[in-house]
Amino acid sequence: MTGMTGRETVLHGTALKRNSTAAEIAGIIGMPVAAVEAELAAAVATGRVMANADRFMVAPLTDVTLRARYPQVFSALRGDPGFVQPYEAFERVNVTLKQVITDWQTMTVGGKAVANDHSDEDYDADVIDRLGAVHEQVEPILARLAAKLPRLKIYSEKLLEALEKSEDGDHEWVSDIRRESYHTVWFELHEDLLRIMGREREE
Amino acid sequence: MDGLSNLPIDELRHAAPEATPLAEAMLALVRMKVREARDASGQEWSHFAMRGNDSLVDAAMMQDVERRVLASGYRFDWSAAVSVGENPAIYKPGPDADGQGDAFMFEHPDAPTGEPDADGKALCGVGDNVVRHPANVTGTARYIRSNERVMQYLTDGVPPGTIAVIDDSGGTLTAPIIDQFAGVICAGGTVRSHLGILSREYNIPCLMNAKVTGIRDGDTVTIEATADAKTAEDYQDKVERTGRVWRTVGDAA
Repeated sequence: MTGMTGRETVLHGTALKRNSTAAEIAGIIGMPVAAVEAELAAAVATGRVMANADRFMVAPLTDVTLRARYPQVFSALRGDPGFVQPYEAFERVNVTLKQVITDWQTMTVGGKAVANDHSDEDYDADVIDRLGAVHEQVEPILARLAAKLPRLKIYSEKLLEALEKSEDGDHEWVSDIRRESYHTVWFELHEDLLRIMGREREE
Repeated sequence: MDGLSNLPIDELRHAAPEATPLAEAMLALVRMKVREARDASGQEWSHFAMRGNDSLVDAAMMQDVERRVLASGYRFDWSAAVSVGENPAIYKPGPDADGQGDAFMFEHPDAPTGEPDADGKALCGVGDNVVRHPANVTGTARYIRSNERVMQYLTDGVPPGTIAVIDDSGGTLTAPIIDQFAGVICAGGTVRSHLGILSREYNIPCLMNAKVTGIRDGDTVTIEATADAKTAEDYQDKVERTGRVWRTVGDAA
């Protein structure tokens, strides 16, 4: 497998973790922050990445370049049943995860979906139990994916961290967007897998 | 033979990246196309390069390269005004253009439409409401289709009262700025989509799976955020439960 250069990995991580700091990008791709900062500085200087204060986004053409590179750098994974099968399994669990997060945010009262105001502790506890069940399903899947692409292990660790904080009663870790909540990490993982596989998000 | 193997040109990895983002994107796309054609041909590279390529690498492939570049929102620089005059869609706007250069709009064939009411509000579509809000929301429609616009909003802030009109149900473009919108109309997805989840998290009125037509960038639009939300059961039972979208027309606009 050809694999990505360090520069490409940083650009890939920046595409996954939009509008994030160098430290956050480094955290998701498992590279030293200083190396990521150096690549980002060079990428900003040559118009590959756009900087807004200390946050970064890939330029549109950089995303075109990345997507043109993926078929080559990920060709081995795309053709490896040991990767494709757990990926397909992830997509199935993803359907459940989205329903669990939706149920975290909304409740059905009198047949109508209303915002969950989190006043019903039993309801919330039940949803977090279901989130735990999702995690139990996805852990072996992630282990199989990471066996083929080791950097994916990071997602397992981040998901477990968010789940444990949620279970300990810090409910912002379920789906808050401004932190690496369970849903934030899951979304970034899904985006990573879609790019690796050359698939489009279904909904 | 392993698929999508290296071309000799791919071995130039030690070389510095191309001078501009456009050159790098174009080269990466052309290499991808050539690799695909070579792999599909089943020929050895030496044979393909010497004999096979003039029939296997064709104009349609290069047109797709250009299409992908343009789909990113990029528009080419022009050196003679005749270029932009003849093909305005692919070039940066000329000096006579209004600088927007974007008359794009969603035109869903199944979007319900209606005549303007007393307030000048004309029905122009429906969508699945992600969660019920106490009041409808009115604002200025802005299509969010390019990174540049997202970057501009990130840098300068989203103008108050902006209703984002988008087709990216994953929220990949809009996630960094979604909390600044007054509302969201998304042409794809369902209420369980990532974007639906984000908009509920920020308590922003949002219609998913929207079928809308005739909304132009800058139009005043109203979202029926007070409509009942579409539930999982509704999707399962194929129940149509939607919130409406109106466009303010005429003197009322």
